[in-house]
Amino acid sequence: MNFIKRFFSGMKQEDEVSEPAKVATPVSTTASESVASEPTASDIGNTEATAEEERFADAPPAPRTILHAPAAKQGLFPESSDGILIKAQPSPTGDQCMFTVNQVLMKDCSWYFDSFESAAESSLAESLFSLEDVETVLVCEATVTVTRKDKTLVDWKPLAKEIGAAIRNAVEEGQSLIADKIISTIPSEDVIREGIQKVIDEEVNPGVAGHGGQINLLAVKGNSVTIQMGGGCQGCSAADLTLKQGIHTSFRKAVPEVGAIFDETDHTAGLNPFFS
Amino acid sequence: MPRVLTFKVNIETGKQGPNEPVNFSFNGHTMPFEKVIGSNEPDAIFEGSFDVNSFAHSLTLVGPEKGKWEIDKIRVDYECEGEKPYVVNWGAVTLDETTEVNLWQDPPVPAFDV
Repeated sequence: MNFIKRFFSGMKQEDEVSEPAKVATPVSTTASESVASEPTASDIGNTEATAEEERFADAPPAPRTILHAPAAKQGLFPESSDGILIKAQPSPTGDQCMFTVNQVLMKDCSWYFDSFESAAESSLAESLFSLEDVETVLVCEATVTVTRKDKTLVDWKPLAKEIGAAIRNAVEEGQSLIADKIISTIPSEDVIREGIQKVIDEEVNPGVAGHGGQINLLAVKGNSVTIQMGGGCQGCSAADLTLKQGIHTSFRKAVPEVGAIFDETDHTAGLNPFFS
Repeated sequence: MPRVLTFKVNIETGKQGPNEPVNFSFNGHTMPFEKVIGSNEPDAIFEGSFDVNSFAHSLTLVGPEKGKWEIDKIRVDYECEGEKPYVVNWGAVTLDETTEVNLWQDPPVPAFDV
């Protein structure tokens, strides 16, 4: 009995499914058929139906260009503040933390300290490297970005408090935050641009080309560079890894005087973005 | 990528506005705003919102079907799941039938005083 019931219920379902399909098929093929076939008498007499068919036959609207309006900057600090104020912003991945100070630490340029030795005579970096867990320090305008040695810790609060105190002490002491010998060795923007473009052309782009990727140098300001990732790199899930372990390393090896490296790629755009 | 519960826009139109229904595109789906106040005619202010309750891949304001839309300012108030409500402000942009402008910005990275 059950078999018979299933058989008949199956027949019923089949009928229900096939009925709309019969109706739907001509609609979906109308666009191509109406172009190829000659109009019949009934077509000529039914202008409303023709208009409806033309509406469905219309090609989808062309994709629009997405613009990016300038974002209005919102200050981190109150406008009138006498003391030294510092905000800590850990990165979403927790691998680094940016400290923003309400005054400029290094004007119009930036510097990357990769070791305690490199911090000699730079009071700011020296005081930061005296903290046990600090691995690298990047000073850029009013910000200090720090990476830590212990990659397993993601809670930055304890270390951030120590770093904040160290930055405040260094600024209050009023000594040279960045060594004069560093400032004097920073080459012109043209030299930085030439060196970075060369390493992009000869090392970075041939490397990422295998994945359909491409790196473009957008701007050089002081010794800070801004790049954009394109092709397969745009929106790729490994873009952050490529940037920090590949591009940063190549840039700093080829042009040791390069400071901050900014990525202005919109990883939510592109043809097949992972970070959409 | 947070789940957007609701968002509200406040758009100040400049000297040129199409005065036609305003649409936005969420994750590629174009829709009209709800709870609309005002318009996008010249020198007018348009307000609209939408209860999305979905994860944000992309969010754009769609340009007019005809003519140009000079926008002076855009303010978007976001309410996302598990995040504090936040506001994003953008400056001037001009839209037409070939363009749309990005409205999406991730919640700000939490910052604390040290």
